[in-house]
Amino acid sequence: MTVSRHLETLQKEEITHTQIVRYAGASGDFNPIHTVVPFAQEAGLGDVIAHGMMIMGFVGQAIEGWFPSDRLENFTVRFKAMTRPGEKIMINGCVTDDAGDQLHCEASAANEAGEVKVEAKFTIRIQR
Amino acid sequence: MVYADPRLEQIKNTKFDAFTYTIEKGKIKEFAIALGYNSKSYLNGNAVPPTFPTVVEFWGGQISISKVLGLNLSKVLHGEQSYEYVGVIKVGDEITVHTEVEEVFTKAKMNLIVLKKKFMNQHGELVLISRSTIIERH
Repeated sequence: MTVSRHLETLQKEEITHTQIVRYAGASGDFNPIHTVVPFAQEAGLGDVIAHGMMIMGFVGQAIEGWFPSDRLENFTVRFKAMTRPGEKIMINGCVTDDAGDQLHCEASAANEAGEVKVEAKFTIRIQR
Repeated sequence: MVYADPRLEQIKNTKFDAFTYTIEKGKIKEFAIALGYNSKSYLNGNAVPPTFPTVVEFWGGQISISKVLGLNLSKVLHGEQSYEYVGVIKVGDEITVHTEVEEVFTKAKMNLIVLKKKFMNQHGELVLISRSTIIERH
């Protein structure tokens, strides 16, 4: 991977149980593994986990800070690890390729220990 | 293809009933606050954040995809998510979503199900394609 340009890091606040509940209500994803501790424990997860889409939303926020939002052409993520309350997520990104009318970019969301939660790829449409 | 789990054969051809969802300011605000956004246009509900389509997907459909596919929620994880922004989604748009199972396969003791959703606006224009990979642990 050739890194042609680093993008400014976005540091998010610590994730709380309340934020996860709020996100469940906002998004409409009420899978109890995210909000109901006994259910998450029975599912073998130990505690509730944040929605992967919440972390993708953090990456979306970073992209919006990096480029005009109407230029986003596609945005794909792979969920790599579970995120729990108490974790602080940081989003790093870079432009990997300038293809003339498009910029190909990558980003990742990781916790303070450097554990990667989400790997993202996205393309920005540019006008020359 | 022959599936070890015969249920996958049925899941493979599933098409869901289309549903329509109106993009509302208040819902965008709620979503932006939940994510801790600081962009004014999102916090005012004037622009649609890049992952807002997930709200359309969950709140728009009255049916539970997990139920229709017979998935056990305690075994289900989200593996991948992809959005193609074909057009622009604006506040007030009435978005109709067509959902189908695009692909089903088994890998390392997991069932993987790819759901494809086409988002059409009130003018019949395709504005977004969403692909979600659902992982069902065995």
